[in-house]
Amino acid sequence: MSEHEYQRHVEKEHAIIDGIDVSGIWNRMWVPRETTDFDFTNLDKVRDLKGAESIGWCYQCAQCIGVCPVDNVGSYGPRKLYSKLQNGMDLFTHSDLWMCTTCNNCLRVCPKGVDMMKIMPAVREQAILEGNVPVELQEMLQNVAEYGNPMGESARKRVRWMKKLDEPIRDLSKEPGDVDVLWYVSDYFSYHPRGIDAAQAMARVFNRLGIDFGVLGREEKCDGDSQRLCGESGLFEELVEHNHAMFEKNPHERLVVSDPHAYNAFKNHYPELTGNEYPVQHYTQFLAEHIDQLKQMFTERFERKVTFHDPCYLGRHNGEYEAPRTLIEAIPGIEFMEMYRCKQQGYCCGGGGGGMWLDGLTGEHTSERLSENRVREAIMVGAEVLVVCCPYEVSRFEDAVKSTDNEGALEVMDIIEIIDMCINNKE
Amino acid sequence: MSGKVMVIGGGPAGLEAARGVIELGYECILVEQRDSLGGSPISASYAALTPDMEDTEVAMARMIDSVVGNELADIRLGNSVTAVEGSAPEFKVTLQSDSGSEIVDICSVVVATGFKHFDPGRETQKYGYYEYDDVLTLVDAEKMLKSGSFVRPSTGEAPKTVCFVQCVGSRDRQIGNQWCSKVCCGVATKEAIEIKHLLPDCKVIVFYIDMRMYGFWEDLLYWKAQEEYRVNFIRGLVSEVTKRGDTIVVKGEDTTMGRPMEVPMDMVILSVGMEPSDGTLAMAELFELPLECHGYIETKGGPLNTVQTPIDGVFVAGTAAGPADLEDSISMGGAAALKACAFIRRITVTN
Repeated sequence: MSEHEYQRHVEKEHAIIDGIDVSGIWNRMWVPRETTDFDFTNLDKVRDLKGAESIGWCYQCAQCIGVCPVDNVGSYGPRKLYSKLQNGMDLFTHSDLWMCTTCNNCLRVCPKGVDMMKIMPAVREQAILEGNVPVELQEMLQNVAEYGNPMGESARKRVRWMKKLDEPIRDLSKEPGDVDVLWYVSDYFSYHPRGIDAAQAMARVFNRLGIDFGVLGREEKCDGDSQRLCGESGLFEELVEHNHAMFEKNPHERLVVSDPHAYNAFKNHYPELTGNEYPVQHYTQFLAEHIDQLKQMFTERFERKVTFHDPCYLGRHNGEYEAPRTLIEAIPGIEFMEMYRCKQQGYCCGGGGGGMWLDGLTGEHTSERLSENRVREAIMVGAEVLVVCCPYEVSRFEDAVKSTDNEGALEVMDIIEIIDMCINNKE
Repeated sequence: MSGKVMVIGGGPAGLEAARGVIELGYECILVEQRDSLGGSPISASYAALTPDMEDTEVAMARMIDSVVGNELADIRLGNSVTAVEGSAPEFKVTLQSDSGSEIVDICSVVVATGFKHFDPGRETQKYGYYEYDDVLTLVDAEKMLKSGSFVRPSTGEAPKTVCFVQCVGSRDRQIGNQWCSKVCCGVATKEAIEIKHLLPDCKVIVFYIDMRMYGFWEDLLYWKAQEEYRVNFIRGLVSEVTKRGDTIVVKGEDTTMGRPMEVPMDMVILSVGMEPSDGTLAMAELFELPLECHGYIETKGGPLNTVQTPIDGVFVAGTAAGPADLEDSISMGGAAALKACAFIRRITVTN
């Protein structure tokens, strides 16, 4: 559990003083608890940053803490950050800077408009400039800068998932030009083994629906939204420039994305830099428009109890709660149940705002991962399958199923995988 | 029957009552024990009014000018009411001044005798008001802010850290004042802004139980102070002021952190609340007005009639009836004038 520094005792597991090993519980020391000075310098440093001004608006009502997913497993949230800043915390070098998953739940309930989605990137950018960035995150950022994806895989390997699939897929990097649907596949669908399952399912479903679609292939790069939220605005700008040029090169009616983070980027943040509007849809929105056609194609039943995890960047950030549910409820035989925390109140998987690459750091300050907390909830409501529609989530939740000893009790599947299983693929 | 209304007290509520009476065409005797009009805002040297921060003298001069010189207004400065005979509509009231006493006939009365500031050394010495030069009250701070020079009394130098301690003499069973004085949160916040105006680099903290920023004070004062002037509000009241060597320290708890504090301060400003003024208690006795349970003049009719006392023909306005801000005092002044004149009119028309 993360405690405030002054409340924590200092206990050296291995302490050698003047050559004598004094390790052990009896060398425990307590840091004095009294506040002896209110030094607002660090608070003011944050307030002075463009974008981070609103941290100074907090009046401690604490509504954010009631909905902060990190506080469920530790001690965190905007109100507490503000209080600690008033008590002199240097956020620029503090682990608290990296604990926020930018899930947007605090801002949803904040009467003063304290906006962590703007505060975090602003402060993180400054921290990165000063060289204060967690190693695990730094690695990811370097990978994206160098290879265009967080895994550090080559661009060539981005299309490997297509080659193992006996489906026609137009690769626009080889056959550029007009296409009806430009499908932005995204990093995790391209490279992660479980993401690849979903990507292949998507390609099959698109083909059965007769969609004229193409992918950017090796010319696709990370959308950059999570990197932007990590404070890498420069890297984000480079990625925007690249992906925008690719979109321009291949005229399309719609830009369909697998990833809610990409959806958020193309819908809300690319336009700020390029001045363009993008005809972007999350794949669940696109497929929900084809629901009648899909229903006629279903030949198999999926007789399982399922629940659905709302991705923060599709739901709270962009207000889409219905499209995924329309798809799930249309699947024959499915028994759908909501979790307690759903839709606007949905719990975060912990992957947003850089959390995807910060499991080491957050692990030191929380009792469990957010994904573990969520998996327990899914099981508690009686689900056999946790259905997701964000590429970050299959891997996060599958790990959490294992780490909570629930293997066999809960399966994690992307919606597209279930749709793919239930339509007649023999055609 | 004289047909006259007597307004006792020349502060905001009394001035508004007098203005109302003469605007309704009735004769008004305005009695003020001090030698000038304007009440506490003037006599206690408020720098600016809460919440709009208009210069106090300019704002009060406007009120005074609307009464002074009017042929229906008979203004008696330096006069006190010392005796009352009879009952409405035929009160015989004795006015005492340096030059002697006079008995005047009046029909109805508006008591607008105001409040006094709580004396922070009266019951307890926990804040060291009479011990430490740099421990002040809101009123002391007003005077300094009005002079345009905000300095530590002990050194004459500008303070680097100033804190306000809310609820001093209010909301306190031990002291016997169980009421919220309503205005101190706003006044302290206003003063905090004024200090920041004069000393932008000064650290200003308000220690509070809960900030009671009624209505528009919320964003006009509280949010403005926090967001634009970077006044820091910390929840948890200072329990005592003490000294470490030459330094004043405030002790208490930062409740949002659950953390005890013992923080040095260059200046401590005690947000003293309201109590019934001596004049208010004296008028209650002379006119035989019952006091409500907190010791202010009682009204009947609850929240739906804020100015009617249980005694026929006697009305009350402003802080004589309980803690009130300027807006409420002025509204009560107008309402009391209306009812005091209506009282006379009813009798005149019936006769």
